[in-house]
Amino acid sequence: MKRPFLMQMMPIVVGGLLLSGCMTNEENMTTAPDAGGEGGASSSNDTTLTIAQGSDMVSFDVHDHSNTSTEAIHVNMFSYLVKNDVEGEGIVPDLATDWELVDDETWQFTLRDDAVFHNGDPVTAEDVKFTLERVAKDNTLQEHENYRQINEVEVIDDHTFLIHTNGPQPVLLNRLSRLGSGILPKDYIEENGWDHFLQEPVGSGPYQFVEWIRDDRVVLERFDDYFGGDVAVWDQLVFRSIPESSTRVGEVIAGGVDIAMNIAPIDWDRVNENEGTSIVEGQTNRTMMLVPNHREEYPTSDPLVREAIDLAIDNQALLDNLMGGSGTPTLTRVNPGNFGANEALHGEYRYDPDRAKELLEEAGYGDGLELTLHSPDGRYLQDRETTEVIAGMLSEVGIDVKIDFMEWSAYVDLRDAHEQKDLYLIGLTGSLWDAAHQLRHHTSMVAEDHIGYSSEEFDRIYLEAEVNMDEAEREQQYIDLQTMADEELINIMLFQLDSFYAVNDRIQFEPRLDEMWRVEEITLSE
Amino acid sequence: MRKYLLWRVLQIIPVLFLISIFVFALLYLAGDPVALMLPEDATQEQVDALRESLGLDQPFYIQYLSFVGDMIQGNFGYSYRYSQPALPIVLERLPATFELAFASMIVAVLIAVPLGILSATKRNTALDVFISGASVLGKAMPNFWLGIMLILMLAITYPFFPVSGSGSVAHLILPAITLGTGCAAEMTRVLRSSMLETLNQDYVRTAVSKGVKNFFVVYKHAFRNALIPFITITFLQVSTLVSGALITEVVFSWPGLGQLLIQAINGRDMAVVQATVFIVAFIVIVVNLMADVLYRVLDPRIQFD
Repeated sequence: MKRPFLMQMMPIVVGGLLLSGCMTNEENMTTAPDAGGEGGASSSNDTTLTIAQGSDMVSFDVHDHSNTSTEAIHVNMFSYLVKNDVEGEGIVPDLATDWELVDDETWQFTLRDDAVFHNGDPVTAEDVKFTLERVAKDNTLQEHENYRQINEVEVIDDHTFLIHTNGPQPVLLNRLSRLGSGILPKDYIEENGWDHFLQEPVGSGPYQFVEWIRDDRVVLERFDDYFGGDVAVWDQLVFRSIPESSTRVGEVIAGGVDIAMNIAPIDWDRVNENEGTSIVEGQTNRTMMLVPNHREEYPTSDPLVREAIDLAIDNQALLDNLMGGSGTPTLTRVNPGNFGANEALHGEYRYDPDRAKELLEEAGYGDGLELTLHSPDGRYLQDRETTEVIAGMLSEVGIDVKIDFMEWSAYVDLRDAHEQKDLYLIGLTGSLWDAAHQLRHHTSMVAEDHIGYSSEEFDRIYLEAEVNMDEAEREQQYIDLQTMADEELINIMLFQLDSFYAVNDRIQFEPRLDEMWRVEEITLSE
Repeated sequence: MRKYLLWRVLQIIPVLFLISIFVFALLYLAGDPVALMLPEDATQEQVDALRESLGLDQPFYIQYLSFVGDMIQGNFGYSYRYSQPALPIVLERLPATFELAFASMIVAVLIAVPLGILSATKRNTALDVFISGASVLGKAMPNFWLGIMLILMLAITYPFFPVSGSGSVAHLILPAITLGTGCAAEMTRVLRSSMLETLNQDYVRTAVSKGVKNFFVVYKHAFRNALIPFITITFLQVSTLVSGALITEVVFSWPGLGQLLIQAINGRDMAVVQATVFIVAFIVIVVNLMADVLYRVLDPRIQFD
């Protein structure tokens, strides 16, 4: 009757590890959760919006996470100094009404005087100082790296302050509009402590905290004193965490949630054929690419081989066959919406298998070439299939590809140890919305150790642009850098990835490029 | 009995020690959490800084000793993912998992008791064969598949229950059926064999020959005595329920330990994985101890020595 204890524990540990391996790590896929136990009834409520994410939010500490799905909820609870309308006007006012550059290292901001936190305290310059200096000075916080450029916040009066930076910071406004910049209530936190804040968070955004049942749901309700007025039609927001993709689809079909994200192609027909639900697609800032190894011992160090690989891949065919035609072929990883994007390279690709064969011949691989392609499996939408189709396309021109599928953490370990062989597949994004973020990875500061690539010319232009306060000039510098990166095929770009949502037809929803849930943009259908 | 209990309680210590080594080594070998905590294109400086601040740049044995030292003081470390101590995060999930385990156990008992008795009293009939076959099927059906099928049938096609989530009895039914059927299968088999054994005992035969009604023979004489192994196996199903909850909680988005563990493993949130496995291990040890003691209390023939 009695089984040895370790035998009983084994299925628990092993089962957990196996299941985790089988599951998609959706939270990191830039993607994160019904209220009050009503379950499927919530969607029938006209003033409650229920959204299902692949994983739960992780914290209300705006500085100590780097999780898009968490930030996607925070944007409804916290206000920022400025917002970044990445598909429209760019940087626009939020808590700050005006800002100007005093000198290359000093910015002056004016705060609006009618903003209050959910506990009734006014939002002042002291709150801004408290918020920004915490993340700028505490190097144990996950967002510190993106804010260490701030030297000091100097309070002039309740609604005026200066931000002193360490050197010129042309992308400061981008930093202040993103993850880590939600303004925190200084007095509330100092009086009650951080632990209390994390349990009962207070912001100054359009929605205030109601409850968070971990791994189940986060519930927010309309904040009547929001400085922007009634910006959305929703009285209550429910963010549910539903890790299993088929359950997310099931909830939308059953009417339990209004919007479910990260829907795999296998479920698209099921959603579209169901009366009252549809698949809605939107762009993401993530670009899928092949990263070749430029070290001498690898054939991919030869520019002719890299060009042959680029010409052998039909980027549009990948999208047509694997993504139902969604997504955009590209030759740059800086997508439109990011400052400095080279739009001439976006929407373009090269495909010429005959020329690819000639190039391989020229490179001395006329008799064939064998390459190893590392690929994650389940990390990105259709990543395994993408790798398999690419291998097939490369074999058509005489490149025999050995595919090495890896579990995500082992994959990251291999890459970070710089032990990858010829090529690996990855999807990269950029949360700063400035080309400086994406292009840094082509500089020798990063690429030399990583893939054995360095270019003095590239580094020089990049470093000049990084501190260039002349916006037009800096933009041109980034455009030029992308042209250089494309000509040298530092990385071989594939396509800008789209995201797919299952949506109840009562909802008018257009996915945002930055994947934030700005619920003022989500309305009831006419 | 006191001596026996003390001995069993003391046995917990080396078991927990072994588990600590096992879990720590497994996670240590599983990969670097820092790489998963930062974006794909984080710089090496970011990676190094975070690794240092988390103490992950220290050798294995120092990290392990530090882990054991803290654990003895009730400190299971800090969750990278949730930015707070791991133990309260795990304890917060316990009620949901207990709720699901308890409901599943009720489902299992409601299925196993009538089927086990029927199967034994109708031995070698078509009904017995059917119940035996259903038990094998119940045991073999993966929770994952059964959960999705129940959602499709009873939440989407015929929307009697919510698809997923928690908060009401209705939310509990489908996951409890999913998790309870596997246990019911094993419990049915045990009850059947235990009933067959007691039905062959002399006192049962005596009762029958005295003309006691069949109903009383089965329920008063045979069933009561067959309960001893049945209760024990019921207790031992707790570890099965917890391991099954890993999958069931994910399918039904049930906010318990199983879902927490899966997410923690995915994110290499070591402190949460370690704390979860320890708490689960502790629960299983305590339940096993209770099963052992109960077995001896119910059956006076077994001695505490």
